[in-house]
Amino acid sequence: MTNDILSGRLDRRSLIKAAAAAGVAQFAAPFVITARAADEIKFGLNDPLTGTYAELGKNEQIGCQLAIEQINAQGGILGRQAQLLVEDSTSADTGIAVQKARKLIERDKVDFLLGNVNSAMAIALGQVSNELKRLHIVTGGHTDSVTGTDCHWNVFRVCNTTRMETNSVSKTLFNKYGKKWYFITPDYAFGHTLQQGFEASLKQFGGTEVGASLTPLGATDFSSYLIQAQAANPEVIIFLLAGQDMVNALKQAVQFGLDKRFHIAGAQQELEVLEGLPPDARIGTWVFEWYWVQPDVPHVKGFVADIRKVNGGKVPSARHWFGYVAAWTCALVANDQKTLDPVKLAKALENFKLPPEIALMPYDTFYRAGDHQLMPTLYVGNAVEKGAAEEDLFKVDELVKGVDAALPVAETGCHLSWPA
Amino acid sequence: MTQLLLFNLFNGLIIGAFYALMALGLSLILNLSGVINFAHGGFLAIGGYLAYMLIPHIGFWGALAVAPVLTAVLGLVVERILIRPLYGRDPLYSLLLTFGLAFILEDGTRYIWGPGTLPFTIPIWLSSPLSNTLFFLTGYRLFMVALVVAAVTGLFLILNRTRLGMRIRAGTLDLETVSVLGVNTRILRNLNFGLGIYLAGLAGVLAAGMLGLQPTIGSTLIMPSFVAIIIGGLGSLPGTLLGGLLIGVASGITTVFFPSASEAVIYVLMGLVLLVRPRGLLGEEGRF
Repeated sequence: MTNDILSGRLDRRSLIKAAAAAGVAQFAAPFVITARAADEIKFGLNDPLTGTYAELGKNEQIGCQLAIEQINAQGGILGRQAQLLVEDSTSADTGIAVQKARKLIERDKVDFLLGNVNSAMAIALGQVSNELKRLHIVTGGHTDSVTGTDCHWNVFRVCNTTRMETNSVSKTLFNKYGKKWYFITPDYAFGHTLQQGFEASLKQFGGTEVGASLTPLGATDFSSYLIQAQAANPEVIIFLLAGQDMVNALKQAVQFGLDKRFHIAGAQQELEVLEGLPPDARIGTWVFEWYWVQPDVPHVKGFVADIRKVNGGKVPSARHWFGYVAAWTCALVANDQKTLDPVKLAKALENFKLPPEIALMPYDTFYRAGDHQLMPTLYVGNAVEKGAAEEDLFKVDELVKGVDAALPVAETGCHLSWPA
Repeated sequence: MTQLLLFNLFNGLIIGAFYALMALGLSLILNLSGVINFAHGGFLAIGGYLAYMLIPHIGFWGALAVAPVLTAVLGLVVERILIRPLYGRDPLYSLLLTFGLAFILEDGTRYIWGPGTLPFTIPIWLSSPLSNTLFFLTGYRLFMVALVVAAVTGLFLILNRTRLGMRIRAGTLDLETVSVLGVNTRILRNLNFGLGIYLAGLAGVLAAGMLGLQPTIGSTLIMPSFVAIIIGGLGSLPGTLLGGLLIGVASGITTVFFPSASEAVIYVLMGLVLLVRPRGLLGEEGRF
């Protein structure tokens, strides 16, 4: 079979033509990136743009882009314009994510690395950025260890840890909805740490775990797991899934009528998921990490309007906010310290408080010194079929301060070692 | 435990029926044209998206009727322009083409409809369970099984009672002789491809009701189709049907004992079949 390809078809003339074409392509290809002003400050966003997490990565990118626009409008960083380079990490292939991160840092020479949505990739990227000594803001990967056992001096995180999410909602679930819980857990780091967090809460409150189902990431049919859940007779079924998995599981749970017999809840929930569900499946008690309806918080309306302009008229989700905050964090601290040196910037970011027009939250929002984890506000509430506005799909019942929900630094397992 | 097992058995049959529907279209195309259609999942997704666009105008039932037909038309066009030139060549060419086409279709849907999940709503009276004990027997899933039965019956009737079907069956055995006998094999393969893609589009509409409608819906569902064909046997449509049902049941039963292995078990089954009976359970010897 190889002979077919090699013999006959490929003659000398074709080979020469192909080589010539390849040579021309080197010049003809858009080499604008390298030709552009070398004195621009580069942000490298490494996020999934294809696959399961494509929407989440895309929204983080839009948030970043808005931030960059605003940064440039206000004079840039240290007098230089900022530029955003985006690389698709894919949703599942950590090898590619790492490759792209190395490309961004080593070849494209980005000053700041941002990303990833995928927890496993966030950890891997942290190792790369640490090795190559770049300031790295993790936008949307939630597993505890990014600012826990796998923390690094150069890595900071905007989104919550899985533990913060479970701690913020577990008391409400226990007191209001029941003591017997069944977990539907996606079989990877994010799911495991969420379950561990809830199990710790159960132990603390004296509840029972009646069972758990580990589901493969990307599973389409949850019926057999839901059958297990129903057979265990819990009071609350806890869905620890994310993205498309959550859409599929909730859709099927509602079709089975399980929401009428058990309380449906979980930790992390996202606007993108609620938007993707048919209205009758928008149910359950969840935690949002940022929400667009905050009438008492200044600047939020402005942010929502700005994002609507670049997001096809749709409101921002927490993902837009993650990207926005990550990019602005770098700009603020660099302009503040008047340097781009990663070590100096990282030291300055410890206990760094975000200004209200960036934080967009009711309480003080700052990066904790011991583990570099942002301490935001968590929004505990229930999904609603439709709220006051078309896109208002979540009713916030309770605001929890991140510092209250987070583990003390000593218990996170984070030990930062700074370069000499 | 017995109840759990029984539930999962029934549920597995339902899911298996769905897998069988996807796999049948793929099998049809493979048998006659020898084309391994990796883009089958992409057409499935297009079927779902077209239905989503049509529902506000002609309702769910209208969309169910029309979307697969539109997808089939797209299939006819793709076959004529992209696949027909490759028939004489190494099977690798069409495999590479359909593989690339799969990416194009997925990225195309992402470009047109965005990467987000679109809320696909099915009629209310279909989406509730029939009873509290048998809660997993929702109207929609039973409707799905009924549709699969109808599609299989329809396919059987087409293949055995119409001239087109006769020619397809003959072509599957020996295309050259059929051509010599005066049948236009180019049109035959074209129509056969369209028929296979019709089934993909139909599966897409059904899938969109069960799962979230996003660009990757096709690539997540394509693998069980291939496994169903391999287990059931290449060259045999009843085999594909059986293969689909088997993997559905296997997946369901495994969930009772080893939930995290429920996706992997279909590949284990495939491996076993390949080791013990490589032609598949009902396949013909020396097919490939």
